[in-house]
Amino acid sequence: MPDFTLSPDLVLLQETVRSFAAQELRPRERAAEAARGIDGGVASACETIGLARLELPESLGGAGLGALAGAIVREELGAGDAGAALALDPLGPVLYALRDFGGEDALRAFALPVLEAAGARAILVFDAMPRIHTEGRRAHGTLPWVPADRADLLVVLERERAYVLRDSIACEPVRGTGLRAAGASALRIEGSPVLAEWVSTPCARRTLAHARLHAAALLVGVMRQAAEFSRRYARDRVAFGRPIAHHQALAFLITDMAAAVDAARLLVWEAAWRLDSGLAADEACASAFVECAEASMFVAPNALQILGGHGFMQDHPVEKYLRDARALGLLLGGIDAARDDAERDLLGIAGPVDLGGDDPQGELHAASS
Amino acid sequence: MDLRLDAGLRTRVLRVRALGRERMRPLGLEADRLGRPIPADHPFFAELVRLGLGRTRWSGEDAAEPGGFGARAVVVLAEEMAYWDRGVAVAFPGPGLGEAPLLSLGTAEQRERFLGPFRTPDRPRWGALAMTEPGAGSDVAGIRTAAHREAGGWVLSGAKSFAANASRADWIVVFATVDPGLGRDGHRAFVVERGAPGLGDFHVEHKMGLKAYESTSFTLRDCCVPDANLLGGESAYDRRAGFKGAMRSFNATRPAIAAMAVGMGRAALDESHAFARANGLLGRPRIRDRLANVRRRLRAARLLCWRAAQLADERRPNALEASMAKAVAPAAAFDAAMLGMEILGEVGGRGDSLVEKLFRDAKAMDIVEGTGQIQRIVMARQLVDLPRDREG
Repeated sequence: MPDFTLSPDLVLLQETVRSFAAQELRPRERAAEAARGIDGGVASACETIGLARLELPESLGGAGLGALAGAIVREELGAGDAGAALALDPLGPVLYALRDFGGEDALRAFALPVLEAAGARAILVFDAMPRIHTEGRRAHGTLPWVPADRADLLVVLERERAYVLRDSIACEPVRGTGLRAAGASALRIEGSPVLAEWVSTPCARRTLAHARLHAAALLVGVMRQAAEFSRRYARDRVAFGRPIAHHQALAFLITDMAAAVDAARLLVWEAAWRLDSGLAADEACASAFVECAEASMFVAPNALQILGGHGFMQDHPVEKYLRDARALGLLLGGIDAARDDAERDLLGIAGPVDLGGDDPQGELHAASS
Repeated sequence: MDLRLDAGLRTRVLRVRALGRERMRPLGLEADRLGRPIPADHPFFAELVRLGLGRTRWSGEDAAEPGGFGARAVVVLAEEMAYWDRGVAVAFPGPGLGEAPLLSLGTAEQRERFLGPFRTPDRPRWGALAMTEPGAGSDVAGIRTAAHREAGGWVLSGAKSFAANASRADWIVVFATVDPGLGRDGHRAFVVERGAPGLGDFHVEHKMGLKAYESTSFTLRDCCVPDANLLGGESAYDRRAGFKGAMRSFNATRPAIAAMAVGMGRAALDESHAFARANGLLGRPRIRDRLANVRRRLRAARLLCWRAAQLADERRPNALEASMAKAVAPAAAFDAAMLGMEILGEVGGRGDSLVEKLFRDAKAMDIVEGTGQIQRIVMARQLVDLPRDREG
């Protein structure tokens, strides 16, 4: 029977990260934004929980957790401070690229050094355009923005291949729309040696699916926090003789924001469950990203709107949620690149359109027709 | 977390699928073409009874809640039924919407009397529920059908609207008020049996869609109902909490109605996708984007239905989640049908396609079992303590 219950271990993890985000990240979100980084105390508290090694295989000293655990942790971190979430996760989605293309050897060669160097950051870019070109064994090109102030490792993902760069990458600080706690730079790659290269369309799709879910889960956290902050504000703020939440136009907006957050979360969970169960997940992960990016552009601007003039001022965090959400949705080629993957199977299927879940319809259709 | 269906439910889905493809969809299209409900003596209904359908969920034991058939199974099967034809699904024999109040509010004797014949029915039998009135739809507290006490029973006077299957029902659970000034506190639920003196003027409404089942209006003219037919007996209404608690059980039907919307939207998506494919439209990103949007929204709606149903299965509060599913799914379904019409274009405009029928059918889902606006009010009560204008 469809069952959304999280295992006790996952509930414990969720609660742990939720209180870490509330106690360590949220109170410092403006400071981290101004400093373009997180302070050492927060980083070491995070180290204690082991967040940077959650999905790393146990054989390499990680916790070996799956996509659902990753999604739950990232929602909580995103609800604290999405920029800090990136800063606290030195490997980020680079883990998936190295793991899916190169296995443990690649993780050992490229991931572990990043985890061992203090403050290091590995960056994954999806470069379908492409903006970076390889000639021989060297790469050239520029990237206008990545949410980091240093790039100790750069994995460039294309539709059919991935390659690893480490040297001759210049970071030029830019202001950044959001996620500033993670930093913001333009990258200039000038003859950077290609340290490893793999060609595999299935691996590229798998990496992209995992990476999209990574960003999607952070977006769920950001929009949940935006919705929650504005909901509380609307209950307290009085105008025309009652809490503004009791004016029906705002009451209905608040209900629709709550529904948007829950729908987005369920799509993320379902996609994560598919990944963890070994089911086809490219479309589900791409769709989850599209939903989260679009829903966050409904929830976050309206959260600001509910606060009115106060929302526009930086005394309240909602303008930051809006900037962070907008920035997250631009990663990995953004919504349109995700649509390409979400729609690919629409071209292929001749029968009923699978709606996910257990695919009771599509699969059973196939079985019965 | 595991979203797999168990083997038993899979088998039931397959059974519904076969019935849906072979019988429900053709019958629904026929009723739509003829513009009238499937008659009560149609052999299809007798066939359903022979198949073991049209029964009550009630096991016959003296328990307020039936066992076995959980809310999630209901939601999954409701979606599949509605995929083939929601109108035909509502026309199925059985105790219908009257079952829930009988189970949650009825005495043991009342359950035996009214649900007993539905345990292994000898022939197609229907039950019905009548709440809506010409002057009170969403504003349930505003019903005016009056209940007056007389020696040995009650006298009901008023008019009821849009009750499914009412003219063919063995009994109708009728909501009336002892004092309109009391709002919901004044409500009483009665089981009015077919042939009761004063029950009449049955009028089958003409609808935009969902024509396979009857939506019936009727009047109660000094209709006498014995004491034994007051649902739950007098004591059930002494404490408001008792009645309210019983009404809360309706939270299991909202996810099922929402799931029906998902099924209808899925049918529209499949039809329009097949049309787009056959006509070489899938190469157009504009078409593909919109199909993918509909698919994603239906998928989210299905997950919201499943979640609300799981909470119901676990006897946990689900007012917010049930209303959320009901607020989201019908809009997604209607948009699926609207998009289908656009993809079919003038072929849709001819008025003789399944997509066009779904376009007319789907709109109702945002109205029945609480409009989208009412669902938002319920949600807002949970989220921001939205006050009630009137105790209702």
